[in-house]
Amino acid sequence: MNKLIAIIKREYLQKVRTKFFVIMTILGPVMLVVVTVVPGLLLSIKTGGDTRLAVLDQTEGSKLYHPIRDALTTAKANEEGNDRAAIADAANSNSKDRLEKAGKAAVGSFRVEQVSANGRPLEEIKRELNARIGREDLDGYLVIPSDILNNSDSKSSYYGRNVGDVFTRGQIEKRLNSAVRRQRLISQGVKDADVEALSKSVDLATYPVNEKGEEGAEDSGAGFVMVFIIAFLIYMTILLYGQVVLGAIIEEKETRIAEILFSSVRPLQIMLGKLIGVSLMAVTQLGIWALAFAALVLFAVPALAARGFTGINLPRLPPFFAVYFFAFFLLGYFIYASLYVLIGSMVTTAQEGGQMAMPVIFLLMAGLYLAFAVIRAPNSSLAFWVSIVPFFAPITMMVRIVSQTPPFWQIILSLGIGFLTVVLFLWIASRIYRIGMLMYGKKASIPEVIRWARQA
Amino acid sequence: MTNPTVVLDHISKSFGEFTAVNDLSLAVSAGRIFGLLGPNGAGKTTTIRMIVNITAPDSGRIELFGQQITPALQDRIGYLPEERGLYKKMKVGDQLRFFAELKSVPGKEADKRVDRWLERLKLTEWKAKKATELSKGMQQKIQFITAVIHEPDLVILDEPFSGLDPVNVDLLKQIILELKSAGKTIIFSTHQMEVAEKICDDICLLNRSRKVLEGSIREVKRGFSRNAVALRLVGGESVLANRDLISHVQRHSDSLEILLAEGTDAQTLLKELLAEGTTIERFEMIEPSLHDIFVEKVTEKA
Repeated sequence: MNKLIAIIKREYLQKVRTKFFVIMTILGPVMLVVVTVVPGLLLSIKTGGDTRLAVLDQTEGSKLYHPIRDALTTAKANEEGNDRAAIADAANSNSKDRLEKAGKAAVGSFRVEQVSANGRPLEEIKRELNARIGREDLDGYLVIPSDILNNSDSKSSYYGRNVGDVFTRGQIEKRLNSAVRRQRLISQGVKDADVEALSKSVDLATYPVNEKGEEGAEDSGAGFVMVFIIAFLIYMTILLYGQVVLGAIIEEKETRIAEILFSSVRPLQIMLGKLIGVSLMAVTQLGIWALAFAALVLFAVPALAARGFTGINLPRLPPFFAVYFFAFFLLGYFIYASLYVLIGSMVTTAQEGGQMAMPVIFLLMAGLYLAFAVIRAPNSSLAFWVSIVPFFAPITMMVRIVSQTPPFWQIILSLGIGFLTVVLFLWIASRIYRIGMLMYGKKASIPEVIRWARQA
Repeated sequence: MTNPTVVLDHISKSFGEFTAVNDLSLAVSAGRIFGLLGPNGAGKTTTIRMIVNITAPDSGRIELFGQQITPALQDRIGYLPEERGLYKKMKVGDQLRFFAELKSVPGKEADKRVDRWLERLKLTEWKAKKATELSKGMQQKIQFITAVIHEPDLVILDEPFSGLDPVNVDLLKQIILELKSAGKTIIFSTHQMEVAEKICDDICLLNRSRKVLEGSIREVKRGFSRNAVALRLVGGESVLANRDLISHVQRHSDSLEILLAEGTDAQTLLKELLAEGTTIERFEMIEPSLHDIFVEKVTEKA
């Protein structure tokens, strides 16, 4: 027992003192934010100046030009529709709003000019406009067909240099839509003043109801984002610390320390000592993050609220969330770490280890992808089965717990099956570890490994 | 042979098709230096791994200190493997303390012993350095400390001198002899016969997974007193070629070592050489070296 503690202590203290640990502890949350929020933010920022648009309005009397110009140039644009940029959903609702606003400020500035046909054929006008786009005098132009107000199948066209900029395109489409719709209503005799009220979009407030039939407070979508963050956090930490275990195993094999260790301590104890040592390192890191988050909630949010930054709504987490989180994290950690031990004892160098670890990483990634399906229907039978399979349970069951807590027996079942799997895997891994660690010079083949596992 | 420290009783070990150790029996007497000799691949390391309880024999029995082998006995053994290593990024002092703890030395006592041994091996100033900053020789001395820091009753050293300079070889030899006089048993594995000859009391020669020779150095040499003669001659080639007289000739740069054929003696050889008119610059009866015995034993089986 003292020897086990000595091994755990060494593994933990050596690892926690490394720069890697300190840097990861600081950068982890930053990375999480970077991965979840920044891509959306970056996409929404439009660099360069205003978008210069020309509008060729073929309707009688060019009735649409002014409404379209107004729709494009006024900041108000339209409040219609829930078709906010899909990417913004990745952020939480507050930042989503912020993002929208930032996005609007960035994409929303258009400079619009009218193109008059003056009896010239469409082809000629287009050729001229295309040439201007080619010279970069213009970013794009809209062609509005003459029958747009009375034919609902009629199609407008947009020609532009950078049609890949889906945000600008989306804005143009949305604003064109609102202008045309408005004009259609007016041409049907609806009063100008009523148009606004009639076309106002529906505001849908969302309230969660739990399994006991209790209604929760309004959910702004923050919980949804939280699910993603939890899924990703578990994925990231298991991956990270699995690699740490792999590195530790390979180090002892490469440096031949294993032989001295094995002459002093039972291989099973060494293996468990290493796994527990690294798990404590992981728990330390997650604990630091959790404390930082709690401090943020307890101090920073009220402080901000006191200065008028209200409306920072934090996601609600189920009771015992932290207990579940650590339980499922440790479950996943031990399952994947025992696979890494297996790989570490089969290979001779870190490079070989990296290659062999690929299937394990894919398995873990599969869990993350399945989590997306589970979020859509947390109580489906797919979600149930997937959250019972030990390889996927750490991510998928946590997703279920956060989004729509499943019955308690399912959580216990998942943990129970997971625990048995861990015991089985550790047993197999220890047998292979014992022999593999003393095999130098060549990578073990799968049949060899199976033979080792069978040996008494 | 009183109270053998280690007894191997008909042990065998194979890996798949390959038999590493075949029906090996031997006894290592307490308080003596036992040489486990043999060419590379003879089964020395496998034998040692079974003694230190890293692997178990397929068949046969191992006794340590008069008891059936158990993991608890590992604390009474110190082992310096041939394939040795240290944690690269860990400080020397911390490593030694860790290895001592793995052998059940309590923390405070371990600290004292670390300091004492580092001083003994002239490495005190390296205590706070990481292993990667040490030279190969220094690392080897650190590893030697890990084998003795828990004051084991049985010390097993696998090629302890390879790669050390003569000064450090002498330092380690001196420590090994001190351990012996303190009543410790030492198993010394090597294929360097010159070294074994100087420090071993008893030897066991392994070849191709089998024991081919065993006994105290003196017994072994007596068993091989096969009339070896060192010569320096001018002429006399026809005598040297006479297989009735000489069974084996080994030529060195300026001398010869020959083995007399059975049924002859040195006097006969001398007479023959004189009869041939050979000039004899050197004629000396010599004891066979362990090296010669080793080579003969290992090649005769092949």
